[in-house]
Amino acid sequence: MKALFLIVGSIAGRLMRLRRSIVMFLLTASPAPLIFLVALSRSDDFAAEMYHNVTFTLGMGTLYPVAALVVSTAALGEERKARTLPFLLMKPVSRPVIALGALIGAAISSFVILEAGVLITWLVAALMSGDWSLGIATTAAVAVQSLASAALFVPLGLVLNRATLVGLGYLFLWEGILASIIEGIQASSIYRTVLSAWADFAAVTPDTYDAVDQILGRVTIGAGGAAAKVAAMALISVMLTGTLLRRRDLVGE
Amino acid sequence: MTAPARTTDALHVEEATVVAARLSKWFGAKVAVSEVDCSFGPGVTGLLGPNGAGKTTLLRVLAGLLVPSSGKATILGLPPKKRHGVYRQVGFVPEDEAVYGHMTARRFVEWSAAMSKADGAPAAARRALETVHLTSDADRRLSTYSKGMRQRAKVAAALVHDPKVLLLDEPLNGTDPIQRARLIELLVSLGQEGRTIIVSSHVLAEVERMAGRVVAMVDGRVAAAGTVAALRDAMSDKPRRIRIDTDRPRPLARRLLAGEWVEAVGVDAAGVEIRTGDARALGGDIAMAAREAGARITKVSPEDESLDSVFRYLVDLG
Repeated sequence: MKALFLIVGSIAGRLMRLRRSIVMFLLTASPAPLIFLVALSRSDDFAAEMYHNVTFTLGMGTLYPVAALVVSTAALGEERKARTLPFLLMKPVSRPVIALGALIGAAISSFVILEAGVLITWLVAALMSGDWSLGIATTAAVAVQSLASAALFVPLGLVLNRATLVGLGYLFLWEGILASIIEGIQASSIYRTVLSAWADFAAVTPDTYDAVDQILGRVTIGAGGAAAKVAAMALISVMLTGTLLRRRDLVGE
Repeated sequence: MTAPARTTDALHVEEATVVAARLSKWFGAKVAVSEVDCSFGPGVTGLLGPNGAGKTTLLRVLAGLLVPSSGKATILGLPPKKRHGVYRQVGFVPEDEAVYGHMTARRFVEWSAAMSKADGAPAAARRALETVHLTSDADRRLSTYSKGMRQRAKVAAALVHDPKVLLLDEPLNGTDPIQRARLIELLVSLGQEGRTIIVSSHVLAEVERMAGRVVAMVDGRVAAAGTVAALRDAMSDKPRRIRIDTDRPRPLARRLLAGEWVEAVGVDAAGVEIRTGDARALGGDIAMAAREAGARITKVSPEDESLDSVFRYLVDLG
């Protein structure tokens, strides 16, 4: 257990380096000025509805997954590229524990960085709408997003040099295009999983609800289902990453 | 220098702690290590060879960082790639300059100690940092360290859990002469304590100062193995070119030609270039020859003693 904490601390400490954190924070906080400018001098309800709409489209559709992707692929990928993996791997610690540490480290880092942006957006929207409960659902969604992205992209970062680029391709093609036109694959969409958790907590208007329902397609709203799905992804990810660490060359020649 | 481990033949030692059994590693079409079959035991063993010889790949396979393409690597009887518990007894210093730049040296060494399940991690880290003379800079981030300081921090992290086996890939790279001397002294003393120390280097003189036994590699194969003296003997009948800078080249050349070990002599305004089949005998005769020729010698230097040429010669012998 101690080794797990040490790995999580080491990976999270590296992932939350100032420069990357600031860039990702700016990315995830970018809806805040948008909401401020558009909702200024409008009604309180308009500000709340705009917050919801911006969150589930721009935030959960693009900004949060991109930021979580960048952080997650770096968890082990950066160690491999920087050639520091031997310091982590040549320790009497089982590979699944290292994999679990990398997953938790990546998920915590993603959550902290994403939530910083969410908090700013939440603050602006709350000040304009007077509803201070707005961001609770987004916080839950960001937690699901962070774990799901870590589960998917930590092993990808370990095996691919251009994991971030491949991940962006995945977000654009699979999540953005294919999952919206092929109903059969919607259950595998992280975006829809995150959205289903968010919609369970968010107090949305019927119009917003309809729009969310349209995106979700076959996926039903429910935080429990989303959590179970992401937990299963995390378990598979740990097993896969552990196997990769045990069986693959982990440094170059 | 430590006494070499007792050998059963040039390639194998009694009480072997690290074993490469017909070990090969290739990357695509490139063979980096080919059919290496040797063992290492207590004391310092130098893994010697020119750049690209396969030393780093061999160390990485032995360390369990690379999967052997064929053959087997074991440390203390266990394959490290599969039995990670063995790392409790293994320290590794990679060649790469990379370190955890966001950590201080103290944090890095303490972290290594705790991860390696060393008793009393902070105290062990303090001792390891003292051993490599980094105490005064221990609270600086590693990203601010020079290359030599990073090397010492990596050595401290590799030593902190008191391992029985220490694998070091070019650990003297980037160190200044004082640091180098201290590290050599440290490795020698660790070897004398009965630990297995494998140090790779492409500098013969460095290895000679610390290793009782040498395994020499060229082109991914073991070219020679044995004591440093045995290696030198194997090289002794290689024709060498030696340059002697002197104020009286012609009389010196005439006198040296009288010796039967000189095969050819070239003379220019600044000195003499000699081709000899017995460099040791020539070395013994140079001072006498200079005295007899009334010549003042300012420099004696081997012209073709690059490690690469020496080892290629050894491969040809094989």
